[in-house]
Amino acid sequence: MGEVGATTQTYILCELAGATYGIPSIMVQHIEMVERITPLPNAPPAVEGVVFSRGQVIPALNLRRRFGFEPIAHNLRTRLVVIRSGARTVGLLVDTAREFVAIPYDAIQPPPQSINQLSGDYLAGIATLGNRLILILRVDDLLITSDGLATAGAAD
Amino acid sequence: MITGVAESNDGMFAEFLDDFFAECEEHLTSIRRTLLALEPSIAQPRLSRDLLNELFRGFHSLKGLAGMVGVAEVEQLAHHLESYLRALQQEQLRLTAEGFDALIVGTQLLEQLVVARRTHAALPPTEPALARLAALVTELAPPLAPTTISAASSSASVAPFSSEEQAKLAAASTRGDQVWLVTFIPTPELAKRDINVNNIRGRLQQIGALISAAPRILSAGGVAFDFVVASHTDETTFAAWQQDGLTYAPYQPVAPAHTILEISPPLAPAMMIAPSNVVRVDLSRLDELMQLVGALVVSRSRLTDQLAALEPLVPVAEWRVLQETTLALERQLRDLRTGVMRVRMVPISDLFARMQFVVRDLARDLHKQITLDLHGQDTEIDKFVVERMLDPLLHLIRNAVSHGLETPEQRLACGKPSAGVIKLRATTTGDLVTINIEDDGRGIDPQQIESRARALGLLAGDALLDPAQILHVLCAPGFSTREQADHISGRGVGMDVVAKTVRELGGTLMLETQAGSGTRFTVQLPLTLAIMDALIVQAGGQTFAVPLPVVREVIRIQPERISVIEQNELLLYRGQPLPLIRLARRFGLVETTQDAGFAFIIGSGRTTVGVAVERFLGKREIVVRPLNDPLTHVAGIAAATELGDGSVVLILDTPALMRSI
Repeated sequence: MGEVGATTQTYILCELAGATYGIPSIMVQHIEMVERITPLPNAPPAVEGVVFSRGQVIPALNLRRRFGFEPIAHNLRTRLVVIRSGARTVGLLVDTAREFVAIPYDAIQPPPQSINQLSGDYLAGIATLGNRLILILRVDDLLITSDGLATAGAAD
Repeated sequence: MITGVAESNDGMFAEFLDDFFAECEEHLTSIRRTLLALEPSIAQPRLSRDLLNELFRGFHSLKGLAGMVGVAEVEQLAHHLESYLRALQQEQLRLTAEGFDALIVGTQLLEQLVVARRTHAALPPTEPALARLAALVTELAPPLAPTTISAASSSASVAPFSSEEQAKLAAASTRGDQVWLVTFIPTPELAKRDINVNNIRGRLQQIGALISAAPRILSAGGVAFDFVVASHTDETTFAAWQQDGLTYAPYQPVAPAHTILEISPPLAPAMMIAPSNVVRVDLSRLDELMQLVGALVVSRSRLTDQLAALEPLVPVAEWRVLQETTLALERQLRDLRTGVMRVRMVPISDLFARMQFVVRDLARDLHKQITLDLHGQDTEIDKFVVERMLDPLLHLIRNAVSHGLETPEQRLACGKPSAGVIKLRATTTGDLVTINIEDDGRGIDPQQIESRARALGLLAGDALLDPAQILHVLCAPGFSTREQADHISGRGVGMDVVAKTVRELGGTLMLETQAGSGTRFTVQLPLTLAIMDALIVQAGGQTFAVPLPVVREVIRIQPERISVIEQNELLLYRGQPLPLIRLARRFGLVETTQDAGFAFIIGSGRTTVGVAVERFLGKREIVVRPLNDPLTHVAGIAAATELGDGSVVLILDTPALMRSI
């Protein structure tokens, strides 16, 4: 992999429905195997429930559901990527997350207009790494509650 | 701890100031309490000597503190208050209503000055209050107290030494050391050159013994650090340091009778020394301690679970020993938890004293006659809860005075006594603290609330509102029955904030009102936030925790006692029909066949409901984990807990369940 300097940023790569997504590693606190998720009644459909992680109870947001993909059963490869966005700590459920790479800024292109999947709304860009394409996520925007993530019955 | 250059200066000074504010707050609290106790003695020939001394001590300490950090306005005002008190003490003056008022106004101004200083706001003017106090005393000739105020910024005056510092000073003089007062004023330029208070301190320690070091606020803003150093080194060693922001002069010992102390020799020794058996602790340290206790509670629960699984494998005698040990552990943990909790508890009387002040003020401004009736002032409540509840309670009190109570004329016209009564009552029951705010005023008119709610689009349908609904409407953001918030009731905090704060503290807010005869708000708060006893229930195959203090009773449901009216189920409970909420259905879970075999009863009076669940899994001590993320804010769930095996159990928001029917 390329060396880490001012011209690169490091990412955690996650697999989701056959595509590779990149999350800036600076936002990632840690990555966990998925154990018990407690369902949260009246939560937005993409919120699969809550988990206990390092002394805190945090929401587990299923990225497949967030992007409108078919959910799959959890298996040994399923990972919870715990990210920190501002004061918030949220777990993102992905098919798997195993790689840590540095991507040069100049390898990232703005997302093409023609990507019309839901995840297209949350892309900061597309990186080309060798012959792989990596979709760089705008994670903060994923968590905005007014954006397809409103709770069913907000606790007034 | 490693911090940046500028931060370490600021940090040290900020800590010092925090102490100053905390101490001011303590003295103001005690002053308020004493003043109220003194009020009945207005115009009496003899005043309680103890109360006067107490008050005098309070103002005197404030003056001393203010002098040390250079808040001249506080110092001056406290001095004037003190002079008036001295005249009272010596019975040269009698306490008049006018004089008492001046004391009250002066005390409020002191508080405003301290707050303004803390928030870096503009200081309110003190001249009118000073003039008023001076006028009270000038009737007497000659002036009683020297009017000199200790000059906070004069360079050679340093706060008196502690006995330890005195000892160091004595040791230095026996060594024949020269004693210097070295003053360092940090500046950004110096900081760039890496010269800060820490390395100056280091330098001074190299040339001799450091006897004292203290920060001081300069009247022009900024801060200076005064070091007293005993050194046998020649002056030339540090003459060059003047370029580094240092000034020095031979140290002039401060006479033991400092200006501050001269005024009242009998009280002098107690002035500068805080009561020795009191420790001031940062609340966050107690939070940490509570967290640790919480972790212990979780571990113990796990231990109990695991032991239970071992029971069939262990011989009875050994099993009994194990059982006894774990029970003892449970008891000790509970004691530990209570002990930590008790450290955090403060009597509610301080909060009540503030309310008395506010009521007194408002009554005068609004020309109302009010008797404030206080009960349960010894009730203890978590310090954190008290701080959070201050503004909401002030709001409820202001509402009671300005909206609730009528004017004397209106009251007489209704056949009521001209003076309205506001009752403020605190009680502890089990793990709950209940605070009542009750007035005997006009009550809340449901129709008025309704028409306004409709005008705002907060209400549909045309049913008459019951108190629970009125409260709900009152607490809706943006609801105010006054077209324009008047300056008394509308000070940033509205009913919505009251409701929100109470809910965040895990409490409940209730309203009872009767047109023509009064309104009562009831706030129920948990004694502690971190750990509580909970009933563990199962519904729709999922486990939930219910705060035990709110559960009134646990019953087995007899199906023949349920009747269905429209879409609601009613349960006959103690001869009364009671709405039944099926938890599984409420949460959109799959109801199992045994669902609704049991129910727990929550709420009181007209808000009583039964919540049907599959089964009860027992009672357990749980550690409350807040659900902070907006994605986890859902109706009916207040918080979460973790049972020690990593799985999360949701804690029900019982007030929300009661509202939802």
